[in-house]
Amino acid sequence: MVRMIIAFVLAMVAAAIVGSIIQTQFNLAALVELSVPISFDTRISTIIHDLLHFSPTFAVIIAAVMVVALPVAYAISRWLDHGERWWFTLAGFVGLLVGFYVVNELAPMPTLIAATRSWPGLVSMSLTGALAGWLFDRLWHPTEQELKEPVV
Amino acid sequence: MSTWRKKVKKILLWLSLELVIVVAAVLLIPQAQASQSQVPDVEAEPTNGFGVMVIANELKHPWSLVELPGHPLHFLVTERDGGFKRISELGFIDDIPLVLPDLFVSGQAGLFAVSLAPDFATSRAVFFSYACGTATANSTCVVRGKLSGSLPLKVTGLTKIFTAQPLREGAAHYGGRMVWLPDGTLLLTLGDGFDYREQAQNLDNHIGKIVRMSPTGDAVAGNPFPNKAGGYIFSYGHRNSQGLVYDAEQNVIWQHEHGPRGGDELNRLQAGKNYGWPMTSYGVDYTGALVTPYKDLPGVTAPEYQWTPSLAPADMVIYQGDLFSQWEGALLVAQLAGRRLQVLQTSENGWQVAHELSFTDSAADAEPNKQRIRAVTVASDGAIYVLTDSSSGQLLRVTPAGHSSF
Repeated sequence: MVRMIIAFVLAMVAAAIVGSIIQTQFNLAALVELSVPISFDTRISTIIHDLLHFSPTFAVIIAAVMVVALPVAYAISRWLDHGERWWFTLAGFVGLLVGFYVVNELAPMPTLIAATRSWPGLVSMSLTGALAGWLFDRLWHPTEQELKEPVV
Repeated sequence: MSTWRKKVKKILLWLSLELVIVVAAVLLIPQAQASQSQVPDVEAEPTNGFGVMVIANELKHPWSLVELPGHPLHFLVTERDGGFKRISELGFIDDIPLVLPDLFVSGQAGLFAVSLAPDFATSRAVFFSYACGTATANSTCVVRGKLSGSLPLKVTGLTKIFTAQPLREGAAHYGGRMVWLPDGTLLLTLGDGFDYREQAQNLDNHIGKIVRMSPTGDAVAGNPFPNKAGGYIFSYGHRNSQGLVYDAEQNVIWQHEHGPRGGDELNRLQAGKNYGWPMTSYGVDYTGALVTPYKDLPGVTAPEYQWTPSLAPADMVIYQGDLFSQWEGALLVAQLAGRRLQVLQTSENGWQVAHELSFTDSAADAEPNKQRIRAVTVASDGAIYVLTDSSSGQLLRVTPAGHSSF
């Protein structure tokens, strides 16, 4: 149980961090297209701002999605007795894709997370769900070979 | 047996984990929402020292308020679902039939403002701004009609004179306020459609712009971008502007617009200027992410005043009258999320809030709530009239304390 909780928390934190950095790039890219200068320092400070202020919201969304998606993936993999890692990864991706749709239906604004307005942004952000699923299983049920890998 | 027990144990573990997450989400999400609608610590004063009279009740999300010339203290009121009403000083409400072409009612979409032509006394010309189209292809439109001179009031000869281009998907951020300039041209605010914020910088469309047109809906010669988007654009870089007034004494146009989370702006509106959205903003996105790292940039006209956290300014008027002589020339700003009416006056340090008023819903059965304010006007008696925003909105009359009613 403790291992599962640690794995879940770490997977959510990792996905929230990666997702936050990705959405910052999409937002800044939109400004660059408007000929707004974005220096390296500005990019870094924007990333840090969003990590502090966006990622907690995103972590809640991912966690809410994963508590549904991961058990479904687990059930499928038990039923098929095969491919747990792949099912968790796929469930994370599809789950977040559906999650964005549900959030946008529930929230008063048309699109809650601006980076998901475009297909490339939506897919990129959903891939953080795949990362969450993969990482969760990697930490929860590592293979024998993975257990032999050095931690650092 | 042990395998079965293990499975049950695993299922129980998942369920308990889900419980923990759901409880955490339930605890966290209201906090996140509360922080979005956060208002300053300075509480708006209740109406001590003022007389507040309810003129009319049960208005469905009323949106704009105009005193009817020739009929002192009789008002024309629009409702977001398409309703159009005449309200007398004693609170009698007459429905005025109005069938707007392609009216789209959903979310923020619907009927917005009513505006009377400068020569209304002779022409009886009346203009409506509203959301037109469908859920997947809509925009802000303007129609012109003629209001009958005798009771019961009727609107005839409706003609659509302007459709903001292009049509878009969604039901958010339409702008919709109108004001007449001394040269007889009409300014109309237009929103960014929420999902199309970058288009506010694109001079090839009307998204996030303020446009200037003739009473027949034609682009006005002399507009700053005659070869762009039909020649209508007056200014650009706006998010969602719902306040627009012309100060004849100062010859200045004042405009306010909603920021995202923070960064509501009061701007001195000038032809051809870029007001920055989404390249500059004092606010951040609703998720907490930065829309832009910049509050100002070269080539962008900075706001004269900004509200952070957002109060959601929805309308404003310049006070001119006798009852509140200390506020002569001040801007009265209606705030939705801020649930207050603000009095902004200029000083050496720029615009400052001179006074704030909030109005509780005395008709509510439960605890009285401060009401969202959608529209404000000053009538011929010098009193301030406001519309509250709800499914049972009110028309309120505000006077100094002790002032005799009617």
